[in-house]
Amino acid sequence: MTDDPQLLQQLRQRSPEAFQRLFQQYSDKVYRLAVSIVQNEDDAEDVVQEVFIRFFEYLDRFEGRSKIGTWLYRVAYNASIDRVRKQRVLPVVDEDISEMPLPKQIHAWSDSHRMTMDQIDLVGQLEAAIRTLPESLRMVFLLRDVEELSTQDTAAVLNITPGAVKVRLHRARLQLREILTGTFAETGQRNE
Amino acid sequence: MECNELVQYLSDYIDQNLEDDLIQAAKDHLSSCHNCRVVLDTTQRTIFLYREQGKRTIPADRRQRLFDQLQETFLKSDQDQGN
Repeated sequence: MTDDPQLLQQLRQRSPEAFQRLFQQYSDKVYRLAVSIVQNEDDAEDVVQEVFIRFFEYLDRFEGRSKIGTWLYRVAYNASIDRVRKQRVLPVVDEDISEMPLPKQIHAWSDSHRMTMDQIDLVGQLEAAIRTLPESLRMVFLLRDVEELSTQDTAAVLNITPGAVKVRLHRARLQLREILTGTFAETGQRNE
Repeated sequence: MECNELVQYLSDYIDQNLEDDLIQAAKDHLSSCHNCRVVLDTTQRTIFLYREQGKRTIPADRRQRLFDQLQETFLKSDQDQGN
């Protein structure tokens, strides 16, 4: 995260350099969050634009109770969800921790994984796997494990409890591990 | 600790959010359970892969367009404020 008070002060003075820093620091993060919800680049670009413009409008009232990044993520999340809700109904996720799925695929990746790293479209495989998660799990995984936000900040962005963040993160990790184990084991076996 | 408990605590173990006695119990179990070691290792690799490869960026053409439009709006908001 950045030195928010200093950046805020410079942004309020409409410093072009401060805008560049803001854009450089947060545009990709907001875009990643948006594209993972709206699932297309045109809408994600619109969300980035909307989020930054709303931030400029809010700038002089921004009290610094939340971090700039957390604020931008929260507005991006809500704007993205609003867009998707106009097109389809989002499924409700099961929060029952007692029904945590147990691992089924138990294969070490070490050999097959290293062997296939250059041979498969790794990024494509990762994106395909994460698209299978319900949006609520995908968001928590993205914010916690990709963007490396804290549990508290993730909870603030998504307006859920820290406990729910932990449950969803655990589910997301286990489900992704399961899918990727299948992928890497399968690819490795084909190469043997 | 049994396998199902290890799986239940797996994320907290990875994130180092467990009490000392549970960390020790998990370590003891892992030292004697091959399957749980595999699950731990592949879960950590999953997180690592996404952290390394999942940071998609805005395509260059969209990025430039966004930058230009937003910079103009940002600087114009100063004039609006002054009026």
